[in-house]
Amino acid sequence: MRRTAMVALLSALAVQPLSAQSMRTVTMSRQLEDGDEVEVSVEYSVGRFSVRSVDEGLLYRMNLRYDEDRFEPVAEYSGHRLDIGVESQGRSRGRGDRESGEFELELARGVPMDLDMEFGAVQADFDLGGLALTGLELSTGASESIIDISEPNRMEMGTARFEVGAAEFTLHNLGNLNAERIEFDAGVGSLVLGLDGEWQRDAHLSIDMGLGALELRVPEGLGIRLRKDSFLTSLDSEGLVKRGDIFESLDWNDADRQVTIDLDAAFGSVKVVWIR
Amino acid sequence: MLQQLLPRSILALGLAAALAPFAAQAQVREVVSKQVSVGRADATLNLEFSDESTLEISLRDGAVLIDGEPMGAFEPGGEVDAAWRELLGQAVALEDGSLSEALADWTVPADLAGSLADVARAIDRALEEALDGIDVQVDAADGTVSISIGDERSFLRALLGSTDRLGLFPAALAGLGADVRVHVGEDVEIAEDEIVTGNLVVIDGDLRIDGEVRGTVVVIGGTVDLIEGSEVGGAVRLADSRLVRNLGSVGDGVVDIEDGSNVEVVATDRLRDQIREEVRREYEVADRVRVRVRDERGSLLSAPFRSVAQAAGGLMENAFTVLILALLGAGAVVFAGDKVDVIAETARRSPRRAAMVGVAGTFLLLPAWILGFVALAISIIGIPVAIAWLPLFPIAACLAAAVGYLAVARNTGEWLADSHYPWTGWIRKSNPLITMVGGLLGLMALFAAANVLSIVPFFGFITGLLLVAAVIVTFLAVQIGFGAVLLTRAGRRREYWPTYDADAAWQEAMSVDVEEEVREAREPSDVGGRGEGDA
Repeated sequence: MRRTAMVALLSALAVQPLSAQSMRTVTMSRQLEDGDEVEVSVEYSVGRFSVRSVDEGLLYRMNLRYDEDRFEPVAEYSGHRLDIGVESQGRSRGRGDRESGEFELELARGVPMDLDMEFGAVQADFDLGGLALTGLELSTGASESIIDISEPNRMEMGTARFEVGAAEFTLHNLGNLNAERIEFDAGVGSLVLGLDGEWQRDAHLSIDMGLGALELRVPEGLGIRLRKDSFLTSLDSEGLVKRGDIFESLDWNDADRQVTIDLDAAFGSVKVVWIR
Repeated sequence: MLQQLLPRSILALGLAAALAPFAAQAQVREVVSKQVSVGRADATLNLEFSDESTLEISLRDGAVLIDGEPMGAFEPGGEVDAAWRELLGQAVALEDGSLSEALADWTVPADLAGSLADVARAIDRALEEALDGIDVQVDAADGTVSISIGDERSFLRALLGSTDRLGLFPAALAGLGADVRVHVGEDVEIAEDEIVTGNLVVIDGDLRIDGEVRGTVVVIGGTVDLIEGSEVGGAVRLADSRLVRNLGSVGDGVVDIEDGSNVEVVATDRLRDQIREEVRREYEVADRVRVRVRDERGSLLSAPFRSVAQAAGGLMENAFTVLILALLGAGAVVFAGDKVDVIAETARRSPRRAAMVGVAGTFLLLPAWILGFVALAISIIGIPVAIAWLPLFPIAACLAAAVGYLAVARNTGEWLADSHYPWTGWIRKSNPLITMVGGLLGLMALFAAANVLSIVPFFGFITGLLLVAAVIVTFLAVQIGFGAVLLTRAGRRREYWPTYDADAAWQEAMSVDVEEEVREAREPSDVGGRGEGDA
């Protein structure tokens, strides 16, 4: 639906010459050559961003609206490496009333992919469901990000890394990521991690948080073990049993899948919420 | 022999296209990458094909560029621009096959004429050549037939789209000699330096000849455009086609196959109309140019008035600034008059010290802002305060600078009131607000003088000097005022108390010569009395 709206917008903008601001619309796409693994690097600094999977025999398709005075689109594909996004041209008029950009990215469904995404001040909406991820690295600055892995990842992933700056960061269906190790490095802000989804193996979750609030949404039946190393951080450990320095879910020993969580937090609060 | 070979070749190709569509489709160039980029001043299409070749068509800043080469001009927002942007609007949502079809099917807007039509044709041709180009060589024992066709759709359309057109083939192709070049479903241009030694057949496409065709030209279902200087050795045969113009030479004349008439007469009428249209357009352009020249002359004449208007605008700006500051000052006097007094007193008594403190404070503002935020943020209780700190600290700093500036303005007003300079008699020290307004006007006087002087030609340098002086005065006033605010903790700590020194007062009282004072006090009345007596 969003894509349809974006295409309609781009079509309308293409038909009528733009006049008010130096906003520019670009749509790019590339046909899929083969099913080999692709290394994808995405960079976007300011604006709204979304990513989802696409069929239609495409490697990628992106619809972009940006300020041509300040940014320049990048889309380079060579040797199964795709660099895509927007680069700053390093000059800004410093006007505060500028319209923010918009970046919609669709990536090939089912093609093995090592995805590396780097964002600045971005309002992001991800649906990584359907992508065959072999690796994932996501770095955000001051952002508001909602990530959903709506379908189980078909590929096994070694480590997924999330670096979150000053942000509101929400992640759903973390279990669908099919990663052995998941690392979060959060600076300041609010972090909501939904441990729902289909856990295909036991996993290790490492959370390093500076200042902020962390909410862990854990589905009943998933065994979790929490090791906390904190300075001034409160823990609402409802449903967990404390054994020495660690907290465990009541069914830790009997759970089909076990997730170990290492939490290193400086200031803030941690809350465990059980979901049915 | 050739006459039999040609229709047979075309028929064979038609059957091949009809019966083996997949094979034919495989030959169509595949678009592997597409980029549609639309901005205010340009609309660009980039295509990359499976053989790694590329095509870039860009309408940018009034110029049409094909693979970077300028092909002509267009009017931004005009018909060509609109048609191109409409095509790109469709291309945004299309991929591969459907994209190729949409691009290849694009045609020159029907209402275009002259150079704009030429530019549009160049775009059309570039698209078709990039997307459709399939060349087929049919060898024959006694001659060569070179057939170039577009995609299979255009070929079938050319053959089957009109049964009437099929009936025209025998007559149109009758008597052609050896060496025939056939183009189906694509536009053809014979460049200025190009020579076609044999015959040329174009089916379902437009032909533009700028060079030379030594044989006969046959066009079926298209148009022919003979540019000035072009040459056709044989005849130009038109079947279900139209002659756009004939500015070249045609050896055996232009013949309409359908009715056998000489179409040059018709074409001449059309050409005449076209020339009339172009002349009319030229007149319109000339009129527009005349109007523009008149406008430019008008603007030259009004240049002095423009500088007066600019100066008036600058003065209005100064007056508006004084008004805003005066309102702020009124608020400060009403709600915190005693604090303003303290600040003003400090600024008056030790301006140098206040200035130094102001400059130091200005440099420390940013570190203080950041460190304050960090200090608040690391304590959980202080986090809400830290959020408020970010906007409130800069606001407080600006307010401090403004109040300090107003205090300095009040001191300036008092000094002006005592100075007895012209036009300062209205400043009454008894009213702090009027004193402050007088001081503001005094501080802004250099800006106003610069604005007034900018009216006079050749005084740009002096105007610049005045502006620099005005900026320095304002900077100093702000720094002194800001420093005084810092020294007095926003007027809450009095730096200079009106002290009573009993010893000093006694000494002063004792040093007075009472008799002298009394004599001086009496002297005026004595003088008056003597005057009256003399009278």
